[in-house]
Amino acid sequence: MALTPTPWHTIGPFFPRSFFREGDNDLTRGTALGQRVLIRGRVLEQGGGPCVNAVLEAWQADAAGRFGHALDPCAEAADPGFLGWGRAWTDAEGQYAFHTVMPGGYVDPAGPRAPHVNLTVLGSGIMGRLVTTIFFPGQAANAADPVLCSLPPALRARLVAAPDGIENGIPAFRFDLLLHGPPEAETPFFED
Amino acid sequence: MASDAPPDRFDPLPPDAQPRVPIGGYPNTLRRNPSQPAFRRPLTRTELTGPPDLGPRLQPGDSDLARLAPGRIALGQLIHVGGRVVDEDGRPVRGAVVELWQANAAGRYLNPLDQRDAPLDPDFIGSGRTRTDAEGRYAFFTIKPGAYPVPNSGRWWRPPHIHISVLGPSCLSRLVTQMYFPGDPLNAHDRLLNSVADPAARDSLVARQVPPAEVAGDWLGFTHDLVLRGRRATPVLP
Ligand SMILES: [Fe+2]
Repeated sequence: MALTPTPWHTIGPFFPRSFFREGDNDLTRGTALGQRVLIRGRVLEQGGGPCVNAVLEAWQADAAGRFGHALDPCAEAADPGFLGWGRAWTDAEGQYAFHTVMPGGYVDPAGPRAPHVNLTVLGSGIMGRLVTTIFFPGQAANAADPVLCSLPPALRARLVAAPDGIENGIPAFRFDLLLHGPPEAETPFFED
Repeated sequence: MASDAPPDRFDPLPPDAQPRVPIGGYPNTLRRNPSQPAFRRPLTRTELTGPPDLGPRLQPGDSDLARLAPGRIALGQLIHVGGRVVDEDGRPVRGAVVELWQANAAGRYLNPLDQRDAPLDPDFIGSGRTRTDAEGRYAFFTIKPGAYPVPNSGRWWRPPHIHISVLGPSCLSRLVTQMYFPGDPLNAHDRLLNSVADPAARDSLVARQVPPAEVAGDWLGFTHDLVLRGRRATPVLP
């Protein structure tokens, strides 16, 4: 007989700023492996206005597609310096940024996973978290990714970040989120 | 496999035991939640895993919010809040990061966004972070937060509550919730608490008061257990 998970609630408008430390949104700390990339974008609410003080949490594989976690059979080969987790929050314009490394793809029983970053969105009014996945442009593996392919074809491009130039020598990608809008414009989110 | 192996089975969250949105009088629950139902995806390695040790990144700070420094004690009723963090099998979750934040005794947050006309307490910051021990236990000393009116909501007051964030062994075991106090008359009217349809799940958001005679010091005690998502696909014999 399983226990019922404790119900979620919103973080509300007052998530403490003191919980953020410089570099929390930098997943590259501690590792020298992999291609550094910058992921940036805006979180927008209904009507396109900025979602201020949203908290975003990222989780991804290392540059070789491994996780230092007991459920990864390759965990022992994972980059020991790479935590794979980071936290960002949006400013008054709804902007966020993550500094990270290009994640590797990997083979999963469900199918070959393309390079991707898992994203959690928390914010005032978001009663349970919103979860989605960031994919990268120009990756042949996107076409067979079992999570991307679980979406209706017309929506898949919405989870692929856009090239956004070079920032201090590092390739940048743009991934904007619209939390509520017309079905064709709203960011697709997954069941938690 | 060791009995402290992480959960590897994540059933969908029971909808009646989670909040329903939008919530009247809380416009952000409309503006910031999708109009479309969430898509079901296969759960692969990346969804099932999570950072195994966030301690070095989210460093535990003070779990005593009531005493800022020697001689600097927050105004309000001193309370101890503690409990166990377990998974759906009831197994303790060790080393989970637990973050807690709350209003002061006057119902005001130390946050530049909280501009309500209520006093700040120079001896109360109202946030802390700790980790669960080998039995999955967490604990904080703090003060009982005050209620506060929700701005522009038609006289809706939030009952005293404490915000709690838990980062467990998997991305899927993430939890952000709020803890309520037993017997508060505002609980019955709270639109957030009542957005959870299932009465037992709603009650699980309300802490239990420890009988004062069983408390070892000059504070009131509250017990509040948290159940993170996740089970073992194959139950492990102890
Ligand atoms: Fe609150």
